[in-house]
Amino acid sequence: MGLDTLFVFLVLTSLVLLGSSLLNSSIRVVALQGAALSVLPFLVMESSWAGRAVFLAALTMGLKGIVFPILLNRSVREANVRREMEPLVGYSLSLALGIALLILAFWLAGRLHGIGVGISTLSLASAFFMMFIGLFLIIARRKALTQVLGFLVLENGMYAFGLTVVGHIHWLVELGVLLDVFVAVFIMGIAIDHISREFDHINVDQLDQLKG
Amino acid sequence: MSVAHYFWILLGLPLVGALVCALLSAPRAMFMTLIGMAVLETAIGVFLVQGVFWGAQESVAWGWFYLDALSGYHLAILLLIYLLSTVYAAGYFRHELEAGLLRPGQIRRFGILWCGALSAMALVIISNNLGAMWIGMEATTLMTAFLICVHRTAASLEAMWKYLLMCSVGVACAFMGTLLAVAAARGLPFSGSDVMLWTQMRAAATQMNLPLLKLAFLFLLVGYGTKAGLAPLHNWLPDAHSQAPAPVSALFSGFMLNTAFYCILRYVAIIEIATGGSGWSLHLLQFFGLISIIVATAFILFQEDVKRLLAYHSVEHLGIISLGVGLGGIGVFAALFHVFNHSLCKTLAFFSAGRIGQIYGTHAMGQIRGTLKAHPVWGIGLFGSFLALIGVAPFALFMSELQIVFAAMDGRAYVALAFFLAGTGAIFMGALKHAMAMAWGEPEHPTPAPDAGIMDIILVAGSLFILLAVGLWMPEWYRSLLLRAAHIVEGKL
Repeated sequence: MGLDTLFVFLVLTSLVLLGSSLLNSSIRVVALQGAALSVLPFLVMESSWAGRAVFLAALTMGLKGIVFPILLNRSVREANVRREMEPLVGYSLSLALGIALLILAFWLAGRLHGIGVGISTLSLASAFFMMFIGLFLIIARRKALTQVLGFLVLENGMYAFGLTVVGHIHWLVELGVLLDVFVAVFIMGIAIDHISREFDHINVDQLDQLKG
Repeated sequence: MSVAHYFWILLGLPLVGALVCALLSAPRAMFMTLIGMAVLETAIGVFLVQGVFWGAQESVAWGWFYLDALSGYHLAILLLIYLLSTVYAAGYFRHELEAGLLRPGQIRRFGILWCGALSAMALVIISNNLGAMWIGMEATTLMTAFLICVHRTAASLEAMWKYLLMCSVGVACAFMGTLLAVAAARGLPFSGSDVMLWTQMRAAATQMNLPLLKLAFLFLLVGYGTKAGLAPLHNWLPDAHSQAPAPVSALFSGFMLNTAFYCILRYVAIIEIATGGSGWSLHLLQFFGLISIIVATAFILFQEDVKRLLAYHSVEHLGIISLGVGLGGIGVFAALFHVFNHSLCKTLAFFSAGRIGQIYGTHAMGQIRGTLKAHPVWGIGLFGSFLALIGVAPFALFMSELQIVFAAMDGRAYVALAFFLAGTGAIFMGALKHAMAMAWGEPEHPTPAPDAGIMDIILVAGSLFILLAVGLWMPEWYRSLLLRAAHIVEGKL
């Protein structure tokens, strides 16, 4: 499996998220995306860094592929919601917008490539696309849980960007970033529990008491 | 022990404190621990910053820790605000416990997170590694999110979720910026992992890929700007500040916003060197500063909640700081001076508003009357801090704002000057009206005022005295420290 295949897979999983209404299956898709990302260190790192690649891949797999889905599924059970009802932007419109975002991502990647980021347009574009989809999910969906998924997709995009463009970040920094993301998902999970207990729902658009 | 050890202790001590807090069940013992930890931390901080305060250029340890005039100044403010807030928190939460508004378990959670927040903010300030700086910034969001909903109400949960999500996404944006900045240094002869070090990046700034670096700065400005509460990215701020308990609001407004702005300043230095002092990044800061002042003006004039009012004042003052830096020259000096003035003043304001709120049982300004009679100490604290906040002479905030006016005239930035004067003028009138209405008159439901403790008097009198003293007379070492810090921001050192 080459680098390009992986990036096409990442783009496709992001697109699937736009059309999926069941929270459980969305969590599975994001987990799949995270698991796929754990292959990335092997593909982009030079062979002399093999030990580090294994370390990073194992950590990514463990967090994004296993721990996050468990945490999020637990929240789904606790909050007792199954699907994203009446999203603010409908599913077919979301998919259409997704295509537009894909075009935007490729345009942006082309521009960046022009000013001297020395990697392929496809990898840049798919990293940007994941970030866009992440932001889109945060803005256009009502359930707090879908927003967390959006945050994860956004983070996946940056992870892909970081590995392909920069590559040689100190392992302490990489570890710290992953730790932060882990704690973020953990805390968001607890927050969702509190919100569902207090309000009996997790619809973010109804959290509108504070104004002015 | 080498200097590096002290840096490690600075980061590690709060974590030990958090552990101790987790084990203690009595709130009293826990607050004793917190205050002890804050005092020790301040002592270590004083030891670390004394060098740069008395003229040393910088202090580097282990490559990743770095203190110069800019970070030393910010670290000193952080520790001062944290110490004051911790002392205040002990009194504030004692009243909450007595009134049965909180359970000891909730206090313990506060203690643990309160310690964690200090460690995270200290990490941001002392990091030379821009990646570690980002990690610290994200960690402050995570540590402080649940501090907002110490009282678990519907409104505080809403504020917490908004804060958590907006700032996580914002700071994620800043991570993208950090990566782009590193990408801009690609191909330069750095040794391996040094590429993220600020000192390295500054040394090589002129050889970096400029378009990429500029793109990086845009991401960083938006990302860290969200956390710093610059309009139009400030939406989380009034909610979080108004729902959090007063000591937390004080720390948020008094220093957390500045932590994020400090990160922006570090990158301004690199951009200024890379562009050869063209002022490209300064124009952006000017723009965001003016927008913040204008937006804050609109909300301050028609505000009904005293803590939300103070929150919008934070947007205003961060705007003033941003504008000052954006004007360049003496403006940078004035803006850095304003950082301390605003932090101390806003901390006192939130302290007073919090205790007044406890006495009156509300934060609605319409129902708060006659605070000077109801509780003279905190009444004076609230009124005095309002006067300082809106820029009454000779408080220190007036002096720093005056210097920003000079900077604008120096730089012939007359449009910015006009907006600045109009905004602060309108806020002066609006906020003064609110402040006088609260201070004078008869309390509607006179409650038996609790006695003012000696600590209360020290907090109010001490803060007001410092604000006055610094306004009237600036010591020479302070001026030279600020000048050196300003030169660092402008990339002249």
